[in-house]
Amino acid sequence: MPRLSHAAVPALGATALAVASFVALLAIHLGGGGAVDLPWAPTLDLRLSFAVDGLGALYGMLATGIGAVVFAYAAGYLPSHLAHQGRPAREAWRFHGAMVLFMAAMVGLVTARDLLLIFLFWDLTAVASYLLIAFDRHERESRVAALMALLVTGITAIALLIAALVLHARYGSFQLPEVLSALQPGPATTLAGALVAVAGLAKCAQAPLHFWLPRAMTAPTPVSAYLHSAAMVAAGVFLLGRFHPLLQASGPLLDVLLGIGLLSIAVGGVLALTRDNFKQLLAYSTISQYGYVVAMLGLGSARAALAASFYVIAHAIAKCALFLTAGAVTQAGGGKRLSDSGGMARAAPALAVGSGLAAAGLTGLPLTIGFFADELFFAAALQRGPGMALAAVGAAALTLAYIARFWGAIFLGPRPAGAGRASPALTVPVVVLGGLVAVGGVWVQPFAELAREAGTATFGAPDAFKPAYHLDLRAENLMALGTYALGGLIVATRVLWAPVAAGVARLGDAIGPQRIYEVSLRGLNSLSDAVHDFEVRDLRARVRPILVLAAVLVALGILATPSTATFTVGTIGTTDLPLALALAVVIGAALACTVPREHLTLVLVLSTLGFSLAVSYAFFGAPDVALVAVLVETTITLLFFGIFSLVPERVLRREARARESRRRQRINAGIGVGAGAFAFLVVWAALSTPTPEQVVAAEHVRLTPQAHGQDVVTVILADFRGLDTLVEITVVFVAVVGIATLLRRGRLA
Amino acid sequence: MTLLFALSVGVLFGSGAYLILKADLLRITVGIVLVSNAANLTLMSSALTRGQAPTYPLAPGVQVSDPLVQAMTLTALVIGFAVTALLVSVAFRVRTSSGSVDIDELSRREQETERELEREDVSV
Repeated sequence: MPRLSHAAVPALGATALAVASFVALLAIHLGGGGAVDLPWAPTLDLRLSFAVDGLGALYGMLATGIGAVVFAYAAGYLPSHLAHQGRPAREAWRFHGAMVLFMAAMVGLVTARDLLLIFLFWDLTAVASYLLIAFDRHERESRVAALMALLVTGITAIALLIAALVLHARYGSFQLPEVLSALQPGPATTLAGALVAVAGLAKCAQAPLHFWLPRAMTAPTPVSAYLHSAAMVAAGVFLLGRFHPLLQASGPLLDVLLGIGLLSIAVGGVLALTRDNFKQLLAYSTISQYGYVVAMLGLGSARAALAASFYVIAHAIAKCALFLTAGAVTQAGGGKRLSDSGGMARAAPALAVGSGLAAAGLTGLPLTIGFFADELFFAAALQRGPGMALAAVGAAALTLAYIARFWGAIFLGPRPAGAGRASPALTVPVVVLGGLVAVGGVWVQPFAELAREAGTATFGAPDAFKPAYHLDLRAENLMALGTYALGGLIVATRVLWAPVAAGVARLGDAIGPQRIYEVSLRGLNSLSDAVHDFEVRDLRARVRPILVLAAVLVALGILATPSTATFTVGTIGTTDLPLALALAVVIGAALACTVPREHLTLVLVLSTLGFSLAVSYAFFGAPDVALVAVLVETTITLLFFGIFSLVPERVLRREARARESRRRQRINAGIGVGAGAFAFLVVWAALSTPTPEQVVAAEHVRLTPQAHGQDVVTVILADFRGLDTLVEITVVFVAVVGIATLLRRGRLA
Repeated sequence: MTLLFALSVGVLFGSGAYLILKADLLRITVGIVLVSNAANLTLMSSALTRGQAPTYPLAPGVQVSDPLVQAMTLTALVIGFAVTALLVSVAFRVRTSSGSVDIDELSRREQETERELEREDVSV
């Protein structure tokens, strides 16, 4: 048993949680299902609505059950994984946190009834998968793989959201059962079905969006085992099952699914035959085997739906065991590649038996759950016709060939030097899963019932087909025999087809979808770089368009309302003379601001401007504003001087010497004159047409004594418009905090 | 007077716009001060009445200056002050850490840094 260390605590906690969730789901399912329906955002027609039906129970129990086994395995696996990379043991908390998050997202996804809830949990699985695949975040390869998985499954998740909105627009509800019961063929339905299919197919790594899955194998083995047997990839086919009535109503979509499924079987199978790395082989086999499920969902019959559900169970258990085997063998020093592995049967007999059962299950040998999975698969294919039946035999033979290659290369043959014993903590989970595969081969009833209910929930009608052993020459048995023969033939004739398969793999690397992904990602990256470069190259080039566009808008505004823009010159009485003089000084100072080169002179001119403005405010009959303006102007001038005193003189002098090109100065001057002219026109037009009523101001003046004040402006600020002042004080406070932070550290040398 | 107000605002705004287009961060700050002064003056000159200060005791029969625009100008003035002080500090901080307040220079450096980062982390 592993030493109960700090790192084991989160693992055991996660395992216990998974077991408890599994038991709870099982109890709810056996109790006839349960539903929760709470209002979430009623005005938006959103409800927190969950229910455990056959489909939800199957996928939920897979996610929690397989989860429990994987978490227990990780308790033994992760400490040495972290120690090997020199990382602290407490990182196990991060790992198991993300694992539990994934499990919770899966359970939420499979029980959710509300379309937007389904989307939320769907996206949450993508986020959790990103965290898990990039767990070895110091490895660039892991980060790239995680980003790829997130982009492929995250971008296609948007398709699911759009589908939800399309369905809501068409059927007026986000409740999936209501939508599915009201389905009618039509363009909106077809569009929604296609969008759902895109999201689901990307998630279950079907060609041509399959390339993210083999890359994701950079994740630690428990992550691969969980994500690619019972969780992430399973979520894809779950979605296709959940929305199956929609797909049925969407014209030829089911045939497209069938085609994509068969293509994925072929692509995944052929590439799996060429892989040397354990996990790469298993990754392509996952693509291929979810291709089975997608193809069966594409067949669109009650029997095919039943077969698909059963296949998901059998595959999840067996494939998880094989992933865990790969991790156990590698940790025991048995290598990572088929070519430098072998003979592990003697070093780890229990592991060999456990994973042998799992391998037999995947290939559909009798006395394993996989036999019934294949029996159902063949039965569903036979319903369609002889062509489909032949394709099914070919697919199963391909599976047999690469799984046999995987198991044989690891456990048979000569043993490499340095291979030790497999850790018991890693062997037990494999044996448990292998045992389950064997139990399912004898006592198929509970699995079949679960699959039947899930199939019924998928297709809408039950199928009576009972998987069982029949010792006769019925078609399914003949197909199974044909599979074994053909699979054996493929294994035996490796020399003949190996170059062809390798050529296909090379072709896929050269022009395959991964290539397209990389090229488009690189293209987007350079586009973003170009925009960024363009943006930061010249700030003024950014300010200019703002000013020019504003001027254009103002000009359009003036042109559009010529009648109201009657300009009045106004009168200048004798009492206005001081104000007019002060404003003349303002104008002069403003123009003078554009001249000086020395910063010090500039600031002095600026303060001249500020004080002359303060004087004008005084002549406006606004003593409060004038006083504040004087205060502000003094403080700003002092601030400028204070900052200049911190800068060495030679720096100031150097900066004063810097000159701009004549051309640029002319452009700037032109824009400045233009901006001033437009501001002048607009302000003149506005001031020429004042609103004659003066109710508010008079009211304020009248009410001031009642507010126990003498100064109307002060009372307005402190009382009538007190909230504005509060916000203003907040702005000042934030600015002060910013200034203090900026000035606290660092001096120019 | 209307024409004179508009003219002052126009000159303030025009000079401010001209300074904002300069390469020097401090000149940009001064330009922004000018533009906000233009806004303040616009507010003040949009007063419907001008006369005695709106402070009790009021002389009877004499027109009272519009107190509303004064209150608004006060608020704008203080906020403009806070923004100016922040901008000056930012300019100083930039000079301390980058050794320059010239925007062209700063942009050039940022692009160089970007390229270095890109080189370290070649995409895909």
